[in-house]
Amino acid sequence: MTQYASLLIALPLISAFFVPILKKISKKAIMPYLTLITLIQTIIAALVFRDVYTTGNPIIIMAGGFRPPVGINLYIGHFASLFALIIALVSFLMAVFSMRAINIEPKDKYAMLFLLLMLGATGMIATGDIFNLFVFMEITAISAYALTAYNKDAHASEASMKYIILGGIGSSFFLVGVALIYGSLGTLNLADIAQKASLIDPTVAQVALALLIFGLAVEGELFPLNAWAPDAYQAAPHPITTLFSAFVVKASLYAIARIVYLLSSVETWQNILNLLIILGTLTVVIGELSALRQANVKRMIAYSSIAQVGLIAVGFGLGTQAGIDASVFHMVNHAIVKALLFLAVGYVALELGGAEFEKFRGLGKRMPLTAFAITVGAVSVIGIPLFNVFWSKIKLLLAALVAGKTFVVALILGASLVEAVYYIKLIHVMWFFESEKGEENIVLGIIMTLLIAIIVLIGIYPDSLWHFIQEAGRDIFDKAAYIKNVPLLEVVK
Amino acid sequence: MVKRILAIIFILVIGFWIANALAKVPFGEDKMLVGKYYLENVKEQTGAINAVTAVVVNYRGFDTLGEVTVLFIASTGVAALLWRRREERSAEVDGSLILKTGSRVLLPFIMLFGAYIFIHGHLTPGGGFPGGATIATAFLMIYLAYKEYEIDHNLFEPLEGLSGVSYVAVGLIGLAIGGYFLFDWIWQIWEVGDIGRLLSAGFIPIIYTIIGIKVGTELTGIIDRMIKESKEVEG
Repeated sequence: MTQYASLLIALPLISAFFVPILKKISKKAIMPYLTLITLIQTIIAALVFRDVYTTGNPIIIMAGGFRPPVGINLYIGHFASLFALIIALVSFLMAVFSMRAINIEPKDKYAMLFLLLMLGATGMIATGDIFNLFVFMEITAISAYALTAYNKDAHASEASMKYIILGGIGSSFFLVGVALIYGSLGTLNLADIAQKASLIDPTVAQVALALLIFGLAVEGELFPLNAWAPDAYQAAPHPITTLFSAFVVKASLYAIARIVYLLSSVETWQNILNLLIILGTLTVVIGELSALRQANVKRMIAYSSIAQVGLIAVGFGLGTQAGIDASVFHMVNHAIVKALLFLAVGYVALELGGAEFEKFRGLGKRMPLTAFAITVGAVSVIGIPLFNVFWSKIKLLLAALVAGKTFVVALILGASLVEAVYYIKLIHVMWFFESEKGEENIVLGIIMTLLIAIIVLIGIYPDSLWHFIQEAGRDIFDKAAYIKNVPLLEVVK
Repeated sequence: MVKRILAIIFILVIGFWIANALAKVPFGEDKMLVGKYYLENVKEQTGAINAVTAVVVNYRGFDTLGEVTVLFIASTGVAALLWRRREERSAEVDGSLILKTGSRVLLPFIMLFGAYIFIHGHLTPGGGFPGGATIATAFLMIYLAYKEYEIDHNLFEPLEGLSGVSYVAVGLIGLAIGGYFLFDWIWQIWEVGDIGRLLSAGFIPIIYTIIGIKVGTELTGIIDRMIKESKEVEG
């Protein structure tokens, strides 16, 4: 009875639909309700995670009871179960933060869109069908557009407009890519596509994959389709910025990696990997250089987040198991660190009325715990030992060396150097100036302490997590196992 | 000017590149094995005469649930962004006599036709989405004819939510009875109905009725938000 995992999709959906009814009963109950639902989702995700990792087998959900490729299946393997848990957990923490951070009406709509954003990302990592992936991508994207503009000021509207236009272009690229594959193979199921990959014409495969990558690159924040991201990150409500950075972007990156690796038997595959490396490298370089010049801390961290995403894409472009493992590790670490950073910076912006550099002057005196949290996050992103990101950067570096891509090593080291410059500037501003004392919220303090503890724990004992990461990485890399695990129905003439 | 020429060249290159790939996609060959499978097994497995409906609600029902959600997000998003404390209709005069009388005469028939489309989705072309859109057209017509007309959001919003809840609930009942999410227990386990009659095709008519109500209320809600203007003083 593993089909209960479909609750991961059904629960946020039914809960979001229930909000208009709840609003009639009690308006005050909406934000606690959001927290409760995300908590239940976390518990379900934890159960699924336990099931998948103890049995070692993925959970295959067949919607409607039809076997794929006739019906749609979800593939909740090692990667999906790990990430569904992260998505649910981050959503829960941000739902708690939302109770304090969201003061603009209509909150009931906010709660619905929040749940649907979480649903969309969960669906994207769980689905085993390429068109269903498109549907979940749309769910994620459209709720993200609306949430970006939620603050209803001029910046937010402009950011959302940019996002809608780029997102629309991305969706059409993706759809054309799907059409090319469907036209060649006559199937939409990912496992079935992987099985028949050798039948597809190499040119068609190359164009289709490139289109799919460009389509997903909008949500995945890869250059040149990430122009929306800094504006949206800055203008969106603080909890939503965290969700974007922690899992919305990761879901798209995963989708890119999944599709690319399932089609690895195509002759022109190497070109696609090169495309990923080029896009990733450009994303890192432009992201880091732009971060240097920012006067707004939230925007600076947004650029830093984009740069990290570029590193993850480069890791996927290496084409080796080690590269994928490193990228998945970096995804997890980055999700935790950026959740902490955006939470802390958002909290400061909320208390002091803005996220400009001057606001952070003397923060160490005014809000010591928050300042400490930002410091830990910053130090971790730079890649200092004893913090979690250090390990994923090292793994990525080693993977690049083994794959013979020495320039990636230079890229990682250069990026870390630039990160050190702008993050140390922030740390300096926070700790080396005087300011009056202030108060801090206890609940947010607990969340920040929890995240700091996780960062340091992974930093000191990386091996315990590394085992899970390797399983998740193999889940993406091992195409044969993926095909074998999906009970494909033989559809013959 | 240079920018424009560069853009045109860029588009041509991309167009050539995609056309090149399109030329290599086999055309006219019988590759759609899954489609054939649907045609051969649709009656026995779903009890629906209209194979398209069976694909939409049964075989790929998960996608349809997603599409319903996309529409829900669109309507919620519009409501969130155009939210104001007070809003009023800004039209100054009613529609012409012809429009007013015509809309009154036609209203019940349009609604009836919309309901007919979604109830007969498993027998004739159509289904929940066009049926719901037809019902929303009836409301649009009244909005155009009468300047004071307003829908009751206290009724429409919960109804929209309730239909969404019911759709997922139907899926969960399938999970409880048949063991799979969105499993059509009415046709596959209870075997209710005769193929080709109104009472057939398991849960398709139920789901299409839910979708019809949902799409109708959502589109009407969007029309209402878009047609009204804020009476709040800025700042």
